[in-house]
Amino acid sequence: MSTLLKMHGICKSYGSVQANRDIDLTVPQGRIVGLLGENGSGKSTLMKVLFGMVRPDGGSITFKGNLLAQHTPREAIAAGIGMIHQHFMLVEAMTVTENVMLGWERVGHWLRPNDTAEMIRTASKTYGLDLDPHAMIGELPFGQRQRVEIMKLILRGADLLILDEPTSNLSPPEVAGLLGVMRRLREEGHSVIFISHKLGEVLEICDEVVVLRDGQAIGRCAVEGATRADLARMMVGREIGTSAHRAEREAGTETLVVSRLSRFDAAGVERLREVSFSLRAGEILAVAGVDGNGQADLVEVIAGLKAATRGSITLGGKDITGLRVGGRLALGLAYIPVDRASTSLVPDMTIEDNIALRDFDRAPLCHGYTLDKAAFRELAISRIAQFDIRAIGPDAPVRTLSGGNQQKIVVAREIGRGPRVLLAYQPTWGLDPGATRFVIDQILALRDAGGAILYISSELEEVLMLGDRIGVMYNGRLSSLVSREDVNVTRIGLMMAGADEGSQLRSGAAS
Amino acid sequence: MALRRDDAALSQDRDTITKAVDDGPVKTRRRGLRGAFVGPGGLRMALLAAAAVALAFAVTAMLILVAGKNPLLAYWALFTGAFGSLDRIAFALNKCTPYILTGVGVALCFRAKVINVGGEGQIAVGGLATSWVALNLSSLPSALLIAAALVAGAVAGAAWAACAAAIRLKRGVHEVLCTLLLNFVGTLLVSEALNGPMGELGAGFPQSPMFVDAAWLPRLLPGTDLHMGIIIAVIAVLAGHVLLWRTPFGFRLRLLGSSNSAAAYAGASFEHGFLGVMLIAGGLAGVAGGVEVLGVHYRLIEGFSQGFGFNAVAIALLAAATPAAVLPAGLFFGFLDAGALAMQREVGIPSSLVFVIQGLTMVFVLCAMGIGMKQQRV
Repeated sequence: MSTLLKMHGICKSYGSVQANRDIDLTVPQGRIVGLLGENGSGKSTLMKVLFGMVRPDGGSITFKGNLLAQHTPREAIAAGIGMIHQHFMLVEAMTVTENVMLGWERVGHWLRPNDTAEMIRTASKTYGLDLDPHAMIGELPFGQRQRVEIMKLILRGADLLILDEPTSNLSPPEVAGLLGVMRRLREEGHSVIFISHKLGEVLEICDEVVVLRDGQAIGRCAVEGATRADLARMMVGREIGTSAHRAEREAGTETLVVSRLSRFDAAGVERLREVSFSLRAGEILAVAGVDGNGQADLVEVIAGLKAATRGSITLGGKDITGLRVGGRLALGLAYIPVDRASTSLVPDMTIEDNIALRDFDRAPLCHGYTLDKAAFRELAISRIAQFDIRAIGPDAPVRTLSGGNQQKIVVAREIGRGPRVLLAYQPTWGLDPGATRFVIDQILALRDAGGAILYISSELEEVLMLGDRIGVMYNGRLSSLVSREDVNVTRIGLMMAGADEGSQLRSGAAS
Repeated sequence: MALRRDDAALSQDRDTITKAVDDGPVKTRRRGLRGAFVGPGGLRMALLAAAAVALAFAVTAMLILVAGKNPLLAYWALFTGAFGSLDRIAFALNKCTPYILTGVGVALCFRAKVINVGGEGQIAVGGLATSWVALNLSSLPSALLIAAALVAGAVAGAAWAACAAAIRLKRGVHEVLCTLLLNFVGTLLVSEALNGPMGELGAGFPQSPMFVDAAWLPRLLPGTDLHMGIIIAVIAVLAGHVLLWRTPFGFRLRLLGSSNSAAAYAGASFEHGFLGVMLIAGGLAGVAGGVEVLGVHYRLIEGFSQGFGFNAVAIALLAAATPAAVLPAGLFFGFLDAGALAMQREVGIPSSLVFVIQGLTMVFVLCAMGIGMKQQRV
C-alpha cells in the first residue's frame, strides 16, 4: 500500500515549551489513522503544521511524493489535504449548494448552482452522505452540517481528510452514521486522520493509531489486537480505573421537585413540555439525550436564567419558580453549564475573580459596598489547593489555563459552595479522560455527602455510570425514570434518537 | 480559523503550572503600585499608548513637511503653547477638566459594553441646570451655591442619560442611536433657554446674564484662570477606579462587558447595570457641563459644550475603558487643544492639524490593541 503522507521529525516549540518533539506520522493510501491524545498533547499543533497554519521549527512533510514546506492552508487544500474543524465554517442562511460553492475557485466567476447541486447529489450517493443540496444549513441538525463540511472537502478533491474530534456533538446514531461515511471514504481510496480521545470509536474505525503525549509520539500500533486499557495507559501514562467508586446509600428526602414545567421560547416554540421529576438528597438523576432536545432549557429554567411559561420548581420545600439567580444561589443551588468560554467562566478575568463569580456580592467576599479582595484571594487559594488546580497563582487570567483546569475552577466554585442541589450539564464536555475522571469523582463525592444532582449528558456511557435513576429527554419531554438496575441500554439509545418515543426504559413490563 | 486554544499553549501552561506546583504552595504575587492602580496589564497598555502617540506625531510631522513647514518648529510652538507659562498650563488644565470628567463616565460605560455617545447632550443639559441654579438661587452662600449648582448639573445630566437608558431598556432602541440623537435635543434645549427665559436682554448673542461672584468656581493658583474643576476631575478618576475594581457594582460592570451570559449566570442583571452606569456617566457629564459654565464662562453660552462629549468618547477609547487611564488620556487631549492655537499663530499651521494628531493616535492605539489581542491568542 502506497504512502500518502509522511511527516518526519516534526518539531515545534512555543517559547520554552515544546509542543511537538520529533514526531513521525505516516498515513498510507486508503487508511484511517487515529490520532489519540489528551488535551494539550500536541495533536492540534501537529495538524496545524500539516495544514500550513503553523510553521514547524524542524522536520519535513511529504505528501503524494512531493515535499510540502512553507505552505499556506490554501496550498494544502490545493494539494489535497482537507481539514474539518470542530467549529464549522458554514453560513447558516445559505443552502448546502451555496455553502459548497462558497470560496471554491473551480466554480468560476459565473455560478452554476444546478451543476453543483448535481455534483452534490452524485457524491452524496457515492459516499452515503444523504444530503439534500437545497436544504438550508440553519435547519440542518449538527450531524448533517458536518456532512456538508465533508462534502466540501470531497468535491475540492481532498485525498486526506483531517477530522478534529468529529463525534463530540453527535448522538449515538449520528456517530454510527459518521463512522459509516468514514468507511465509505476509505473504500473510495481516501485517507483519514481521525483525532479523538474516545477510545471506543478509535478502536472501531481506525486501521492504526498513533498516541501522542506531551508533544511526543508515545506509541504507534495497528488497531487489531490493541485494547482500550493499552491505549488509555499510553495516552495518560497511568492506569485509569474503569468504574467509579460510589458508596451504597439510600436516597434521602426530596430536595428538588419540578412539576409540569413548560417553556415556550420567544418564537413561540415549545422547548419544554410538562417536565416533572423529583430529586432526593444523595441521589444522581442522570438524563441522557441528544443535544437540543430541551436539556439546555431545563437546566437554565431551574438555574433561573430563563423563565418557565408554566409549572413550578420547589427547592427544599420553598417555591423558587419566581426567584432570581441570586436567591436560588443563596438557597444552595449550584450549576455547571456546558459552555466554559462565555458562561461559566470569564476567560479574561483572574482565577480569583472567576472563583468568586457567583458569590461576589455576599459576605464573606463583600462587605457593604466594597469587595474584600483579601477574602477573594483567600478563597481562591483554598479552592486551588482543595481541587488541585494547576495554576501559577490566583491572579492569573483563566484563559491561560488548560481546558481541564478551567473546568476544575468551575467545579471548585460550584461544588465548593457545598450545594444542596447541583445541576451539571455536560460537565465533562471536551475534557480528556484524566480531567473527566476528576469531574466525575467530585460529583460522586458530592452525592455521597448528601447532595442532590441532576446530571445531563449526551454521553450515554456517563449517564449509565453515574445515574442512580436514569431518564431520557427527547423533543422537550422527559421520559419516565428508571433505577440503574433496571436499565435497558438499547432502548435508551433508540429513545435518544426519537425512534421509540413514549415507550418505557424498563426492560420488562411498563410500570 | 477556529479560535480554540491550541495544544502548545495548553502544554505551555501545563509546564509552567507544574513548575509552580513544584515550587510548593501557590505563591501570591504582589501586584505593586501598577497592578493596584491601573489594573492588570496596565504597564503594557501604557507602553502601547506611548508608542502610538509617538507614531502619530511622526506621521503628522511628515504632513507638516509636505505642507512646506518645519515640523520641529511647529511642535515647539505646540509645546510652548501648552506648557510655556503658568497661564498656559492653567488654561490647558481647564480644557482637560470636562474631558476627564466625561471620559471617566464613558470609560465605565465602555467597560460594560454600553456604547454611550451622549456626553455632548448630557454636558449641555448639566450646564443648563447648573446655570439655572446659579442664576435663581444667587442669594445662597458661595460654597452652598456652587455645591447646589453642580448637584443640579449632575442630576440633570443623569436624568438626560436615563431618558436614553429608558428608551433602550423599554423599547429596545440601541443606545448608540438614542444617546446620539438626544445630543441634538440637549444642545438645542440650551439654545431654546437662552433665546427665551434665561437669555440676557440685549446681549445680541444667545447667552445668559453673568452669574454672581459667589457662583464662580474658586481659583487654585492666584493670578491664573485655573479653577478647582481639575480637582473634581481627579476625584472622579479615583472614584471611578475604586468603583470599577473594588465594588460589587464594578464587578458586575466588568462581567457585563465580558459576556452577557456569564453576567446572567453570576446573577448580575443587565438592566440594573445598564441603568446604573448610564446614570453615573450622565451625572459626571452633567458636572462637567456645570464646571465649564461656573469655572470658565461664568454664564451659560450657546454651544459651550462644543465637541467635549465626542472627545470624551475618543478619550475613553484611548484609555482602553480604564478610568485610571482617562487621566493621562484627557490631559493629552486637553494640552494638545491648548497648544493648537499657538501653533497656528506662530507657525501658520492650521490648528485643526491637532485633530489629525488626536485622530492618528486613536487609530494607532486601536491597532496596537488589536495586535496585542492577537499575540495573546497564540
